[in-house]
Amino acid sequence: MTMLEPWMMLVVSLVIFGVGLFGLLVRKNLLVMLMCVELMLNGVNLSFVAFSKIHNSLDGHLAVLFVMTVAAAESAVGLGLVIALFRTLKTVDSDQIQILRD
Amino acid sequence: MIITLLVFLPLLGFALNAFYHFNSAARKREPSVWVAGLIASSAMVAAFVCALIAWARLKGSAGVGPVLEESLFSWMNLGALHVEFGYRFDRLSAAFTLVITGVGALIHFYSIGYMENRGSARYFCYLNLFCFMMLNLVLGSSLPQVFLGWEGVGLASYLLIGFWSKEMANIAAAQKAFLMNRIGDLGLLFAMFIAFKFAGTLDLARLAGFEFRPDVATVFGLLIFLACTGKSAQIPLFTWLPDAMAGPTPVSALIHAATMVTSGIYLLARLNPVISQSTTVLLVISAVGAATALMAAITACFQSDIKKVLAYSTISQLGFMFAACGVGAAEAGVFHVVTHAFFKALLFLGAGSVIHALSGTQDVFKMGGLRKRLPFTFWTFTAGWAAILGLFPFSGFFSKDMILHEALVAAHGNPWVFGVLAFSALLTAFYMTRLYVLVFFGESRLSEEAGSHVHESPLVMILPLVILAVASLAGGWFGVPVHLETAHGEGASSVSPAVIMALSLLIAGVGAFLGYRKYSGTIQVEATKDPFRVDEFYGAVVGRGVKSLASFFGRYLEDGFFQKILQVSGAAVDLGGNLFKTVQTGSAQGYLLMMVLALLGLMFGLVFGVNGYGN
Amino acid sequence: MEISDSLSFLLTLPLFAMVLSLVVPRAVQRGYAIFASLLFLALTVYESSGILFATSAATAARFAVEHQLQWLPQIGAKLSLRLDSVSAWFVVMNALTAVIAFSSKGVWYRKSPKLFTALGFFLLFGLNTAFLSQDLIVFYLGYESVFIPMIFMVGIWGENQKASAVFRFFLMSFLGSILMLVSVFFLLSRQVKDGGAVSSHLGSLIPVAGGLPELHAKLAFFGFFLAFAIKVPLVPFHSWLKDVYVLAPFPATIWMSAILSKLGVYGMIRFVMPLFPQTMGTYQGVLMAIAACSVVYAALLAYRSNQPKALLAYSSISHLGFVMLGVFTMKNQGALSAIFLSVGHTMVSALLFFLLSKIDERSEGLDLGVPRGLSQQFPVLFTALFVVMLASVSLPGTLNFAGEFLVLLNSWPVSTLSTVVAGFGAVLGAAYMLKFYQQMGFGASSTDPGKQGAHAEDLSGFELVLVFLLIMAVVVFGFQTSIFLKGN
Repeated sequence: MTMLEPWMMLVVSLVIFGVGLFGLLVRKNLLVMLMCVELMLNGVNLSFVAFSKIHNSLDGHLAVLFVMTVAAAESAVGLGLVIALFRTLKTVDSDQIQILRD
Repeated sequence: MIITLLVFLPLLGFALNAFYHFNSAARKREPSVWVAGLIASSAMVAAFVCALIAWARLKGSAGVGPVLEESLFSWMNLGALHVEFGYRFDRLSAAFTLVITGVGALIHFYSIGYMENRGSARYFCYLNLFCFMMLNLVLGSSLPQVFLGWEGVGLASYLLIGFWSKEMANIAAAQKAFLMNRIGDLGLLFAMFIAFKFAGTLDLARLAGFEFRPDVATVFGLLIFLACTGKSAQIPLFTWLPDAMAGPTPVSALIHAATMVTSGIYLLARLNPVISQSTTVLLVISAVGAATALMAAITACFQSDIKKVLAYSTISQLGFMFAACGVGAAEAGVFHVVTHAFFKALLFLGAGSVIHALSGTQDVFKMGGLRKRLPFTFWTFTAGWAAILGLFPFSGFFSKDMILHEALVAAHGNPWVFGVLAFSALLTAFYMTRLYVLVFFGESRLSEEAGSHVHESPLVMILPLVILAVASLAGGWFGVPVHLETAHGEGASSVSPAVIMALSLLIAGVGAFLGYRKYSGTIQVEATKDPFRVDEFYGAVVGRGVKSLASFFGRYLEDGFFQKILQVSGAAVDLGGNLFKTVQTGSAQGYLLMMVLALLGLMFGLVFGVNGYGN
Repeated sequence: MEISDSLSFLLTLPLFAMVLSLVVPRAVQRGYAIFASLLFLALTVYESSGILFATSAATAARFAVEHQLQWLPQIGAKLSLRLDSVSAWFVVMNALTAVIAFSSKGVWYRKSPKLFTALGFFLLFGLNTAFLSQDLIVFYLGYESVFIPMIFMVGIWGENQKASAVFRFFLMSFLGSILMLVSVFFLLSRQVKDGGAVSSHLGSLIPVAGGLPELHAKLAFFGFFLAFAIKVPLVPFHSWLKDVYVLAPFPATIWMSAILSKLGVYGMIRFVMPLFPQTMGTYQGVLMAIAACSVVYAALLAYRSNQPKALLAYSSISHLGFVMLGVFTMKNQGALSAIFLSVGHTMVSALLFFLLSKIDERSEGLDLGVPRGLSQQFPVLFTALFVVMLASVSLPGTLNFAGEFLVLLNSWPVSTLSTVVAGFGAVLGAAYMLKFYQQMGFGASSTDPGKQGAHAEDLSGFELVLVFLLIMAVVVFGFQTSIFLKGN
C-alpha cells in the first residue's frame, strides 16, 4: 500500500468541491443545494488539511475548525431560511423562486 | 451740516409717517390726513428753511465758484474706485434745491386738502421719500449718488403713480414709468463705467474737469443723454409721462412737472463741460429737444383730458430746456426749469382744484364756465396760463425768450432749432388757450351730478395756488440763477434780444388768438387722439418683441431643446438598462453560474498573465 | 497665520445638533431648530468676527485660521480647514440660511419634523465641510454629502411629481461632481508621476495643475467647470433647477437658492481660479458671454412664468449670472465684488422665498395669472416683500446694488459687450419682479379671507423681527460696503 501523498488529498478535495459546485448549479431543490454547499465546504476543509501537511504547520487545522464551526452555524441559518421560504412560497424549487427579478 | 440736515429732514418725515401708518394699521384705525400731512409738510418747510440758510451762506462766501461741501462717509472703495457719500451745494444745486423744497412744501400742503378722505399716511410717506431722493440727486457729490437719487425718484414715482393700487390700470402706468426709466438708467450706469475706465473717477467735480478723448466723450455724452431722455420724458422714452397722470394730481404737479422730470436738465448742466466736448452730442441733444417740443405740442392739441394736455405740455417744455442745453446755453435751460416749476406746478394744482371741485371729472369738454364758480382757481390759473404763454411780465416770458434767443446766437445755435421752437411756442399758446377757454369760459357743459356740488377748494389748497401764482409772476425778475462755464465762442448769428422779445410776444398773441377764436363759440366735442402713435408702436415692437422672445426661449429652448436633451439621455439610460436587464433572470443558479465562470476567467487570467498582472 | 483647532466646532456642532434633534420632542422641534441655528449663527459670526470686521485686507489675513488633521494619508487627504476672508462669508451665509429656512414653517413641519431638523443640520455640516476645506477630496465629500439631505427633503416633503425632478437634479449634479472627482484624481496621478508626495491639498495641487500640458489642463478644467456650472447654475446647465425649486418644500428651496448655488460660486473662486488661471484666461470671453446670457435668458423665462416659485427660481439663475460675471473677470476686485453680491443674493433670495412661503400659508394657490390684492390684507408682509423686491432689482442703496454695480464696473473693461447684455438683464429683472409683486399685492382685494382663519394674520413676532433685521442688514451694508471691500 502506497503512502497517502498530499497531492492525492488535493485531488480528492478538488473532486469533492467540484461535485458540490456541480450539484449547486444543476439541482433545483434548495435542500439539496444547501447540502452541496456543505460538500464544497468540506472539500475546502480537506485542501486545508493537505496544505497543512505540505507546509508542516498547524494553521490549516485551525482554519478547518473555524470553517466547521461557521458551517454549522450557516447550515442552521440556511435551513431556517429554506423553511421560511417554504412557508411563504410553498415550494423549495429554486426555479420557482425568482422574486428578486425586476 | 446744514446740507445733510436739509436732505435728511424729508427722510425723517418719511420715517415718522411710516411709523404712523403701521401704528394705525395695527390699531385698525384710519390715520388722520392732517397729522400725516403736517408731519410731512413741516419736514419740507424745515428743509426749505435750511436751503435758504445754505443759499445765504453761499452768497456770503467769497470766491468764483462757491461751494458748500459735506462728506459723510466713504461708500465704495475698491481698487482705484473711491466713492464718497457726501453733498455738494453750489449755485446749480441751490437753484434746484430751492425749487424742490419750496414748491415741494407747497404741494405737500395742497395735498392735505386734495387727499382728504382718500389719502393716508402712506401717501405722505412716498411724497417725503421722493423729496429725499430728489435732494440726493441734485446734491450728491458723485455719480453713484446721483444714480441713487435717480433710481430713488423713479421708485417714488412708481409708488405714487400706482398709489390707487386697486385699479390695475394705474399699476400698469406705474410699471411703464418704472421700466422706461430703467432703460434710461442703463445709460447712466454705462456712462459711469466709461467715466471710471477713462477718467478713473466718478466724482462729479473732478469728472467735469476731465478732458475725454473725442470719441469717448461722444459715447459718454450720448449715454448720459439716454438717461436724461428716460427721466425727462424726451424722444424716444417719453410715452410714460402721459400715462403717469394716473397718479394723484399733486403728484403730477410735484414729480411729473416741477422736479423729477427736470433732473435730466440738471445732469446735463452738471456735466456741461464734458457734454460740450462733443459737437455730435450737442447736436443730438438740440435736435431731440426741438423735435420733442414740437411733437408733444402737436399731440397736446388733440387731448381732451385736462391732465394729459398738461402732461404733453410738460414734455414740450422739457424739449425747450433740452434744446437750450444742446445749443450750448444750459443756463437758459436751468432758468426755464425754475420758472417752469412755478407755473407748471401752478397749472397742475389748478387743474387738481378743478378736478376736486368736479368730483373727479377730467374731460375738458365736460367743463366750461367755471370762471365764476371757482374764482380763486380761475385767477391763479390765469397767472399760470400767462406764464406758460410767455406774456410780459410773467416769468415764462423771460426764460422762454432767453431760450429762443440763445437758439440763434449761442455757440452751437441753429436757425432750424429756433424755427422749430418758435413754432412749438405758437402751438403752446394755442393749446393752452384752448384748455383755458374750454375749462373756464363759455357755457357750462357739466353733467347733472358733477354740476350739483361744484365748490371752491379749501384754504389749504388755495393758499399754495396763490403763492405759486405770485412766484409765476415774479419768478423771472430774479434773473438767471446760475452761470455755467460754457463755450461762449462766436455765435451762429447775432440778433438783437429786443427783436426776439417782440417776436415771441407776437407768437404768443397769435397762438392765443387762434385758440380763443376756435373754442370760444359753440364747442364741438373732440375725441382724444395721439397723432404719432408712438405708444402703440412701442407696444407692438418692444412689448411684443420681448414677450415673443421670452416665449420663443420658453417654448423652443427651455421646454423644447433642454427637455429633449434630458429625454434623449434618459432614453439612452433606459436602452442600456433594457439591454442588460435580460441577463438578470432572477434565477439564483444562473447568477451562480455567471459568478463561477467569471471566477474561472479571473483565475485563468491570473495564471496565464493577461496584461502583465500574472507573473 | 494662526494654527488652531477652534475651527472644528464649525463641523462638530451641527452634527451634535443633528443628533440632539432626534431626541427633542416633536412639539418643540421648530423652536429647537431655530434656536440652535441662531446660536450656531452667533458662534460662527463670533468665530469669524476678526475677519468679518477687519478694516483692511491685511488685518483680515492676520485673522485667517487654518487647522490640519491627518485623515487618509494614503490618498493624501487631510482634514485641513481654513477660515479666511473668502470662506468666512460663505460659512456665515450658511448659518444664516439655516435660520431662515428653519423659520419658514409649513405643512412639512407636521410630517416627521425630527427627521427634517436632523437633515437640516446635516446639510449645515456638509456645506461647512465644503466651505472650510482646503483639501479637494474633503471638499468633494462635503460637496456630495449635500445631496443626501436635499434629496430626502424634496422626496419626502416635496409636492407631487417630484420623483422625476429629484432624479434629474441628482443625475445632473452627480454628473458634474463625478467629473470633478475624475479631475481631482487626474491631478493626483500627475502628482504621483512627478514623484512628489501625494497630497490633495489645494496648495500642493496648484503647481501640479500649472505644469500640465495644455490639453490636459483644459480637460481637467472642464471637469471642475462643469461641476460648478451645473451647481450655480449657468444657463446651458440649468435645466434641472426649475422643477426642483418648484416642487421642493420652501425650506429646501431656500437652502438651494440661497446657499447650495453658492457652492458653485465658492468652488469657482477658491479652486478653479487658482488651479487653472491660464485655461480660464483662454476661455474668458466665452465664460463672460455664458454668464451674460444666463442673466438675460433666465430673466426672459422669469418674465414668462406665471408660477411665483418658478419665477423666483429663474430670477435666482439670472442674478447668479451677475455673480459669475464678476468671478470670470478673474481679477481680485471682480471676485471680491462677486462675493459681495453673493452675500446680497443669499439674503435676498432667502427672504423672497421665505416671504413667499408666508404668502402661501395665507392664500389659496399661488398663481400670477390674476391680480389678488393681498397687500391690503397683509400690509406688513407686503411692505417687507416690496423692500426685498427692490433689493432684488438692485435699487441703489441696497447691498445688491453695490454688489452688482461693482461687478459690472469691473467686468466693463474686460468684456464690454457681455456687460451691456447683462445690463439689459437688469431692466428685465425689474419687469418680472414688478409683475411678481403687483400680481399678488395689487388689484381689487379678493374676497377669500385666506386659507384658514387662524393663518390670516399679518407677519408678526419672531418672523417680523427676523425679516426686519435682514432688511436692515441689506440696507446698511448697501452703504457700509467697507466691511466687504476692506480697502482692497
